[in-house]
Amino acid sequence: MGGRLPFDNRVRELREQHGAMTQSDLGKAIGVTRQTVAAIEQGRYSPSLESAFRIARVFGVGLEEVFGWTG
Amino acid sequence: MTFHEKSAWIMAFALSIGGLFYAVTVLSMSSGLGALAPPLIPTVVIYTVILVVLAIIGHIVAVAFAPEDADEATDERERRIIDRSGHLSAYVLGAGVLFALGLYLWSYNGNLMFYALFASLMLSQLFEYVVQIALHRRGVY
Repeated sequence: MGGRLPFDNRVRELREQHGAMTQSDLGKAIGVTRQTVAAIEQGRYSPSLESAFRIARVFGVGLEEVFGWTG
Repeated sequence: MTFHEKSAWIMAFALSIGGLFYAVTVLSMSSGLGALAPPLIPTVVIYTVILVVLAIIGHIVAVAFAPEDADEATDERERRIIDRSGHLSAYVLGAGVLFALGLYLWSYNGNLMFYALFASLMLSQLFEYVVQIALHRRGVY
């Protein structure tokens, strides 16, 4: 059932910078549930490339500003 | 907890209760007969009814407590969880079928083979929901 993901993310930080956007709001914006946003933030789920791009677009930043490779 | 995870808990519970009923019924019939009781249609029908009724009641309760969750479409993480759990449960079913066939070749007892196949079906279904719950909790990578 896997281990930790080889990348981290700044989704929570970016949410807080965007008017304290809730996980639920972000989930609705990108078409996933609140629980999936929580799982992404906690590194328990690797989002699809499409969702990763959608997250970046919601925050108006590039993909690498949201996700960073930690190897 | 997403509606999908609640649904997995409900189905795991319903399958456990149904399986327990079936096992207890077969064991008590067998102890009365002094041999393995043959599979009976009414027992299978009652097992199915228990499963369906518990599943319906469970889902109605889950919807009543959080109706907005029930309207949510299955998202990509849940689809991945469903795919992974279905894939893993297929191994359990396959192993059970092989075991049941081996059991028949060893014993030439059709009743025993029926129970082994039915148990494989029940266990693989239960395993699928348990894996879904685990993946919801631990994460899917």
